[in-house]
Amino acid sequence: MFLSVKAANFVIKKEMLTTNNALIDDLIERTRSHLNALEQLRSLPEEVLQHKTDADSWNALECIEHLNLYGDFYLPEIEKSLKKANIYPAEGTFKSGWLGNYFAKSLLPKEKLNKMKTFRDKDPNGLPLDKSVLSRFLQQQKQTLDLLNRARTVNMTQVRVPTTIARWIRINLGDIFRVVIYHNQRHILQAQRVIAHLQKQEA
Amino acid sequence: MTPIEKLKVRLDQAQSPLWEKNLVLKRNEFLKVRGSIDTKLYYVVSGSIRAFIEDEYEEHTIRFGYQGSFILALDSFFTGQPSEFYLQAIKKTELQVMKRDIFLSFIHSDVENVRLWEQLKEILICQQLEREIDLLTHSPLERYRRVLKRSPQLFQEIPSKYIASYLRMSPETLSRIRNS
Repeated sequence: MFLSVKAANFVIKKEMLTTNNALIDDLIERTRSHLNALEQLRSLPEEVLQHKTDADSWNALECIEHLNLYGDFYLPEIEKSLKKANIYPAEGTFKSGWLGNYFAKSLLPKEKLNKMKTFRDKDPNGLPLDKSVLSRFLQQQKQTLDLLNRARTVNMTQVRVPTTIARWIRINLGDIFRVVIYHNQRHILQAQRVIAHLQKQEA
Repeated sequence: MTPIEKLKVRLDQAQSPLWEKNLVLKRNEFLKVRGSIDTKLYYVVSGSIRAFIEDEYEEHTIRFGYQGSFILALDSFFTGQPSEFYLQAIKKTELQVMKRDIFLSFIHSDVENVRLWEQLKEILICQQLEREIDLLTHSPLERYRRVLKRSPQLFQEIPSKYIASYLRMSPETLSRIRNS
């Protein structure tokens, strides 16, 4: 996912400066809307969720499983970082790092979804998936809400979390939450589009 | 008219419109999730809402909001702090939404409004006491009887799995009790 970043793409943009709580409130609200999108997916038959537009693109379940694979990495890492975070009590403000901010922003879906490279171990294309993928994602969202709420008392600028790129590439906790949750937003939108496309064809 | 109905009429008939908007939730959609700060007041126009918390193992249904009632995350509403409650639509639900400050300034603009709001809070406290007794009642059958007597509406509007959770029993136990 991140490997496609070319040096030329690095334009240092204004970094995000906000309060710890404002960022958490925003991310909780995004997660609420993701849960609601998920409930709509859960109400659909499995065949619809398994429908592929073409062999190379993901069906709805594959989109969500891709998110589960990232959640499997990041949620335990965030958990670990929170356990050690009491030495950094919240100070009120949050400042994103330049790398974290770059990753987070590049993941937020744009008008037309730009293609991004997927790491092989995070690519669920062709895996036999059923609706349990959605239950797993639901549990991850509930865990995310718990983690966000616990992060209210820590300094999210100071606490650092390793990334999937390499363990030594660490970005701050606030940016990690943004990366995970913006990434969810991107692929939930993708799943919704696959289904809208199918429903348009059938109509 | 009940105090709830009286207050609703007053809110609707206020000189300047107080309701911010209407909101429609599809079945199972969340109005509020754990950890959020939600200080708004909601009125259930149609449908129903359940409030639950979740521990490590399961969900615990705390209360229901029926058509014709006000719902709010009381802890957030009173303190402005995050609240642990989830609020979820049990079926398609339409709500009216009002901001806390708008609501409270309306309440404090008139002594009759204050009196109604006091009454509502008194009713709520008594309901909470009943609920506390429910939770301390050992026998599942007795818990069932208490709630059936108090709110027969519950058994008409709410799916059994949520009633069972509210009564702190398994769906199987509830169905056994109801069939005996």
